Amino acid sequence: MNEVLLEIKDLHAGIEGKEILKGVNLTIRRGEIHAVMGPNGAGKSTLSAVLAGKPSYTVTSGSVTFAGKDLLAMSPEERAWAGLFLSFQYPVEIPGVSFTAFMKAALAAKRKAAGLPELSPAEFLRLLKEKMAFVQMKPEFIKREVGVGFSGGEKKRAEVFQMAMLEPVLSILDETDSGLDVDALRIVAEGVMNLHTEQTSAIVITHYQRLLDYIVPDVVHVLKDGVIVRTAGRELVAQIEEKGYEGIL
Amino acid sequence: MDETIKELAGQEYSQGFVTEVEQEFVPKGLNEDIIRTISKIKGEPDWLLDFRLDAFRRWQGMKQPSWGHLHLPEIDYQNIIYYAAPKKRSSRPTEIDPALMETFDKLGIPLREREVLAGVKSKEEYESENVAVDAVFDSVSVKTTFRSALAEKGIIFCSFSEAVREHPDLVRKYLASVVPAGDNYFAALNSAVFSDGSFCYIPKGVKCPMELSSYFRINASGTGQFERTLIVADEGSSLSYMEGCTAPMRDEQQLHAAVVEIVVEKDADVRYSTVQNWYPGDAQGRGGILNLVTKRGICKGSGSHLSWTQVETGSAITWKYPSTILKGDWSSSEFYSVALTNNFQQADTGTKMIHIGRGTRSRIVSKGISAGRSENSYRGLVRMNPGAEGARNYSQCDSLLIGSDCGAHTFPVVHSACPTAVVEHEATTSKISEDQLFYLQQRGIAAEDAVGLIVNGYAREVLQRLPMEFAAEAQKLLSVSLEGAIG
Amino acid sequence: MKSVYIIGRDTLPQSISLGEGEQLSLTIVYASALEGAPAEADIPLTVSLDGRGASLDIAGLYICKGESRLRLKVDVRHNACGCTSRQLFKGLVADQAKAVFDGLVYVAHGAQKTSAAQESHAILLSAGAVAENRPQLEIYADDVECSHGATCGQLNDDELFYMRSRGIPEDEARRLQILSFLSPVLSRLPEDLAESIMK
Repeated sequence: MNEVLLEIKDLHAGIEGKEILKGVNLTIRRGEIHAVMGPNGAGKSTLSAVLAGKPSYTVTSGSVTFAGKDLLAMSPEERAWAGLFLSFQYPVEIPGVSFTAFMKAALAAKRKAAGLPELSPAEFLRLLKEKMAFVQMKPEFIKREVGVGFSGGEKKRAEVFQMAMLEPVLSILDETDSGLDVDALRIVAEGVMNLHTEQTSAIVITHYQRLLDYIVPDVVHVLKDGVIVRTAGRELVAQIEEKGYEGIL
Repeated sequence: MDETIKELAGQEYSQGFVTEVEQEFVPKGLNEDIIRTISKIKGEPDWLLDFRLDAFRRWQGMKQPSWGHLHLPEIDYQNIIYYAAPKKRSSRPTEIDPALMETFDKLGIPLREREVLAGVKSKEEYESENVAVDAVFDSVSVKTTFRSALAEKGIIFCSFSEAVREHPDLVRKYLASVVPAGDNYFAALNSAVFSDGSFCYIPKGVKCPMELSSYFRINASGTGQFERTLIVADEGSSLSYMEGCTAPMRDEQQLHAAVVEIVVEKDADVRYSTVQNWYPGDAQGRGGILNLVTKRGICKGSGSHLSWTQVETGSAITWKYPSTILKGDWSSSEFYSVALTNNFQQADTGTKMIHIGRGTRSRIVSKGISAGRSENSYRGLVRMNPGAEGARNYSQCDSLLIGSDCGAHTFPVVHSACPTAVVEHEATTSKISEDQLFYLQQRGIAAEDAVGLIVNGYAREVLQRLPMEFAAEAQKLLSVSLEGAIG
Repeated sequence: MKSVYIIGRDTLPQSISLGEGEQLSLTIVYASALEGAPAEADIPLTVSLDGRGASLDIAGLYICKGESRLRLKVDVRHNACGCTSRQLFKGLVADQAKAVFDGLVYVAHGAQKTSAAQESHAILLSAGAVAENRPQLEIYADDVECSHGATCGQLNDDELFYMRSRGIPEDEARRLQILSFLSPVLSRLPEDLAESIMK
């Protein structure tokens, strides 16, 4: 078995004094894809926000180890430098900032943290083009302002594009399928699968089976009322689709 | 977020050095004798001395304005040195002191004219790549570059003092024609004691081939800087003008009371850009420049156009309202502004658009950014006079708050006495978005860089109006000025 | 409290304080042609939102004719967290009349989660009339959503032409335009008052 990449132990967390995660335990090894499913309000998005370090959430107890380090002690950007990537359910808009400027800043910060020199403009441009082709984004996208005027599908595709640029070790896809039509879903999912290696892992948070037809999970968890109530292999997906969450618990 | 806000403090002001150079001063204080002395040093004609004395008498009867949203300290006008100039070395009176050359080099202001490389570049390429500079050090202009190249096209670009000597008729015709000596307290003070500044005249039909600029440097302590800029764009001419400024870091506050006048004749086009980076004082609010400035232009002829773009990041206190009188029919003007305040800085800045002519157009875009314990106000007037038939104005004033201890204010006046004129004004105030900040951080961009990126995006509409040479500098300045504002 | 105040008939309080969770909806009307209306009116009003979660909805309508002078000074002060204020002022100024709307939205230090919006629109009906808007924001808290909008102009010629081309006489068309401009505030008034204003 591969080494453990992420280990969550008895994680309790919430927002504005309200506890949402009530003791989550989860272990992910390198190379594995885990699906986290569950009904609305189960705490799925809270889990992804807490792992990425969103400041409005508070961790009350528990621990998270990421690649041997204490994840909860790290700032959001340090987590990103360590290779954690969150594909946002609702990517934000940043008026006035072009995709190029945004990606340049992100990549430069990551390389700096790794002690690498900044890419030359030509190298950066080549990388940008390569990764855009990879997710079938139109070239004019890079000149546009981040998220501004993007359709739901374009926003999600732009998230996967960023993932390709930053080459994370652990990708968390928070409801990446919402708002996508079938074709866009396939492109996004293929993008994710192509980026997947023996050394990288992913957490796919979703409501539905359809994304998991393309991104095939090794392990499936059901999160309900802030705790993982069921863990099984990929066959669980079909059972949920058939019987609903109530039916399998 | 709060921690990010705290972390951003403590950035050094990189232009805060002092140049060691021998200087001559007039005695401290302000009276008619001092004014006569300044006028005499400069070898001025009687009419200009009379102009100064008249202004001084008006000033004596005026009170320091208190309507700004500012805590302007009591200024002891008798405790200021009104004239300070680097001594000319008697052996080489025409050459610039190497220490001054070095100073401007350090500030990134080229005082050496690059030569045309024979056969490599056309004259046009050479001109378009250069910027002509009038460099003012304390009370005097030390060098104006590209004078002769510009003179070939009939363009006059020189220090104000030289203009008085060499083009007295032009100066006399236009001086105080836009900002009268008694216009306001600080303009009256300037009219009485102004020492130097830039003069520019673009003749009929001439498109100025290169950017012109003035760079103001305060160096000596205990002094104030009172420069005067006069720009005249004759019929059908066009000009892009840039202005920059810096000062040493000191615990004392220093006064800067300038006047800029711009006359735009029929169908002429003037773009005036400022990147204001006076020393803002330290994180505890000690020191910094009191920047109390009157800038005004008149679109005199029909179809004339005047555009103001300003990026204000410096000064302890900014009191500044670059304004346009739209007199000529179908003339137009814009005011694009970014004003950023941090720590204990205070800014009260905006514009006036006075519509007199028919079909006149104006547009105001103001982006205020407040951080630390600073106070940042937009103050504006749009006035539609009875004859301004079909005139239009559109104003958009946005304020961004970074941290919970600063203030962001909007004080516009929209006055219309013309039924066919249309005025629209919108303003919004909000805080920097935590979602944007987190998103950028998740992508690995550190909090302070993320704030810089967001603020630059927020200000982009204004920044992209700046000439290329200025835009990159202004972007950097916005990020640097915010250091310490976020944590 | 009353919900509608007619200047010249009703006495508008100069200062109102709203406590925790209190809501106030208020409409101010000035029409120089209404019986009892003063030719010169200076109307100061301060509403302080002093309790958490208070909300204010204030509207005003003014029609100034002849040589009338109106000055409306409305200060809305957000002194507590989580308060909301909405302001909408609409006015017509004709003949030699002059109207000034001077409106301040003040948000005190610490008054977080404030939402404040102010709109002020004026139409000039004759040369010689003057309208002045002073919509001001003075804000000392950062977690706020504040905005104001002010416009001044005339009735839209295209609309007028459109209605006339449909056979509506010019006077009637203008009346309809004015009705449409004022309707967001008129709709807050009792029907008979709205009718007498539109006469």
